[in-house]
Amino acid sequence: MQNNTNNEFVPNVDITKSQGSQKVIDKSQRLIQVIGVVFTGFISLLCILPFVLIISASFTEERSITLYGFSLIPRSVSLDAYNLILRNPRQVLGSYGVTIGMTLIGTMVGLFIIAMTGYALQRPDFPLRNAISFYIYFTTLFSGGLIPFYMMITQTLKLKDNYLAVLLPLLMSPWLIILMKNFLKSIPHSITESATIDGAGDFYIFLKIIFPTAKPALATVGLFLALTYWNEWYNSMLFLSSKVTYRPLQLFLYNTINEARYIRDSAAAANIPAIDIPMESMKMATAVIATGPIIFAYPFVQKYFIQGITVGAVKG
Amino acid sequence: MKSNLTRYLTLFLALVLTLTLAACGKTGDTGGPSKEGDKAGDIDISEFVTISHLSLGDKPSNGQYEAVKAEWDKYLKEKLNCALEVQYIGWTDYMTQYNLLLATGEGLDLINTASDWLEMWPNAQRGAFLELNDLLPKYAPITWETVPESSWAEVTFKGDIIAIPEDMYSQWINHGYMYRGDWAREIGITKPIRSWEEFQVYLQGVKDLYGDQGVIPFDIAGASNMKQLYDGWTISKSSLICIDPVPDGLAFGKSDDEWWEVRSRYYPLDDGTDLLLDFAKEMKEWGDAGYWREDVLNNTADSWVQFKAGLNGTRQHHTQTYVYAYKELEREIPGADLQFFPWCEESKNLTKMSITHGATAVGAKCKNPERALMVYDLIRNDETMYKLFNWGLEGVQYVINDKGQRDLPEGYITDQHSFSSNFWGGRMDKFELKYPNATMVDNWEEIYNNFESYAKPYRYGRFVFDKSPVESELAALSDVVNRHLPAICVGKAGDPVAAVEAFRRELKMAGYDKVLEEVQRQLTEFKNSL
Repeated sequence: MQNNTNNEFVPNVDITKSQGSQKVIDKSQRLIQVIGVVFTGFISLLCILPFVLIISASFTEERSITLYGFSLIPRSVSLDAYNLILRNPRQVLGSYGVTIGMTLIGTMVGLFIIAMTGYALQRPDFPLRNAISFYIYFTTLFSGGLIPFYMMITQTLKLKDNYLAVLLPLLMSPWLIILMKNFLKSIPHSITESATIDGAGDFYIFLKIIFPTAKPALATVGLFLALTYWNEWYNSMLFLSSKVTYRPLQLFLYNTINEARYIRDSAAAANIPAIDIPMESMKMATAVIATGPIIFAYPFVQKYFIQGITVGAVKG
Repeated sequence: MKSNLTRYLTLFLALVLTLTLAACGKTGDTGGPSKEGDKAGDIDISEFVTISHLSLGDKPSNGQYEAVKAEWDKYLKEKLNCALEVQYIGWTDYMTQYNLLLATGEGLDLINTASDWLEMWPNAQRGAFLELNDLLPKYAPITWETVPESSWAEVTFKGDIIAIPEDMYSQWINHGYMYRGDWAREIGITKPIRSWEEFQVYLQGVKDLYGDQGVIPFDIAGASNMKQLYDGWTISKSSLICIDPVPDGLAFGKSDDEWWEVRSRYYPLDDGTDLLLDFAKEMKEWGDAGYWREDVLNNTADSWVQFKAGLNGTRQHHTQTYVYAYKELEREIPGADLQFFPWCEESKNLTKMSITHGATAVGAKCKNPERALMVYDLIRNDETMYKLFNWGLEGVQYVINDKGQRDLPEGYITDQHSFSSNFWGGRMDKFELKYPNATMVDNWEEIYNNFESYAKPYRYGRFVFDKSPVESELAALSDVVNRHLPAICVGKAGDPVAAVEAFRRELKMAGYDKVLEEVQRQLTEFKNSL
């Protein structure tokens, strides 16, 4: 921020000094601007092209993919891939619903708990903070392993085929707690102290002072959490069996592809007549369906994201 | 139709008879109360229970599962006073899901398992399966009677029978080359191809005739398919038989007569034949002749899709695929006349499939093992139940056409009508081949009979290779094999002599000899235990 303001000010100062030098600087600045635009334009093109390719491929006829390969503009348009995935719209919508619900609830609850944990852990007047930090940190290095985890969820907690089995384990991630803790460290403890003197309780301080101040941190951690929930498929695969009608989107899509591959490879073995499955375009259509909505979440959080980075920069 | 009825009646009578006999032998030792009309023999089935069957695959989401289930439940209610539900495990990471489910064992009755692709032995070791010795004669009498002693031995773990093998279902998964019959005739090949040399003539012919139209004689892709070529060469040119429990084709049995003698197909054989070097030279020739793409190692094309588009002259896969691929190709390219050259044909080196490629076990925590086995016995031996559970509803999922083949009904739409229970632990030839699938190649019987005439039994179904003493060597070897072998298989490793030498040097360094010794030690132990 400070650097930026300096740069902006220099030419202004120069204008008052001499016309000639202003022209020179104007010119060089324009050059920089042009280079900047071209450069960022090029970079963003590089980012966007693969995605355009994915979208285009998802609408391309499978035959033309095998014959000519992928192309930016589909040679022959076909909706086969989407037809195959969306053949059961209720299933897709249900899966969307589950994933969106899980993402919203998980992010909100998780964010709140993580922020509270992070806040408590960084307060110098909390005597157990090192012990608890170590306990949390320890789990990132050592874990019980898959089978105990599975037994814990299915037998002790009896959460098989329950959405909570997917929701709960992701609520608190050690990594996000540590991230949150370090973010919150940058808020001076004296604010908390003075608020205490003014008679505010711990919870009041957390809600009314810390929470609003930590918006950039919350946005960052929130986005991470939301992405984790959105992309979740592994726990769903383990704990939500076929008895669950609507399984989260990613698992549903993943299964659709695996099933299609299986059917294609062994149409003979099973009772299934060989059908043409557009494998390549289907993979792409899956990617489009899976990433579509979450992309719209970015613009909303983006401003906090930038703010978060710059806030860090000023302090640093 | 009449023989159908007779068979059904015979089976039913056999069931009744065996049950009565079993009842005679066991009178008095079941204390449970038995109500009139609710019992078969002295087996108490007065309590209504639901039996689950663990299957691999995705649950049909089109409502057909529920429809068919309702039908078989009606039948089961009447026969055994129970219901049957299928618990599906999706294909995504199925191994993890399967092992975790078995580790807890909660709510599992009948379980589809397999020694080669579903870790039957490790799970038996962990005690996931119920011992069936005492239950089978009483509750699955027909199965108990019909499965021969030798087959029971294949599913016995430490003296206990832990599963029921799928031993009366033929499927041939021996690999080979599928090629276009119409092109072969154009080239002047009139007899079926039966050797690699003849096959090379075909490839060259395709190259000459259609190469300039963009046809690739053999559009191979993917490292595993390439490595499979060497499997084929090994089968064709020697009497070695693969010891499957050892990964990466590292260990072979010398021959069917001396299957306990461990040999390596990467080293020269006893009689001095250098399989690998001969193969490397041949494949270098094929590669240089341009039978596959120049950038074959990076090729990701789907060779069957290419084949159906008329751009590929060869597909490498197994018999079971071939018998169904024939008519599929005819729909795309009428007159293509797909032919099959099975690798075993050159040397008659063919082993039957392990009968534990599919098996059904009962969960260790199963609450109603008696009823579970009775249901299994019914699925396996009762035609009505067999058809319901495996094929679905007549008229919806299948019809028997006037040639006696199992065909798709008019207006069948896969999305709406498909159903699969994926019962792979006890399919029966007596039903499957009685109504052969209409989509099979017409001469399937000839193909099967030919294999049946010279195939040898599978030797390693019960051999459990304990990898732990050589775990790090196996990992290193797997790396060496995957780095060297695919390139050698498509002749892209440079000079074949040098490539083979480098490959062998690295195998030695990775501890290959130690692994071979270990396999030999364990195999000798296994042989002595028989």
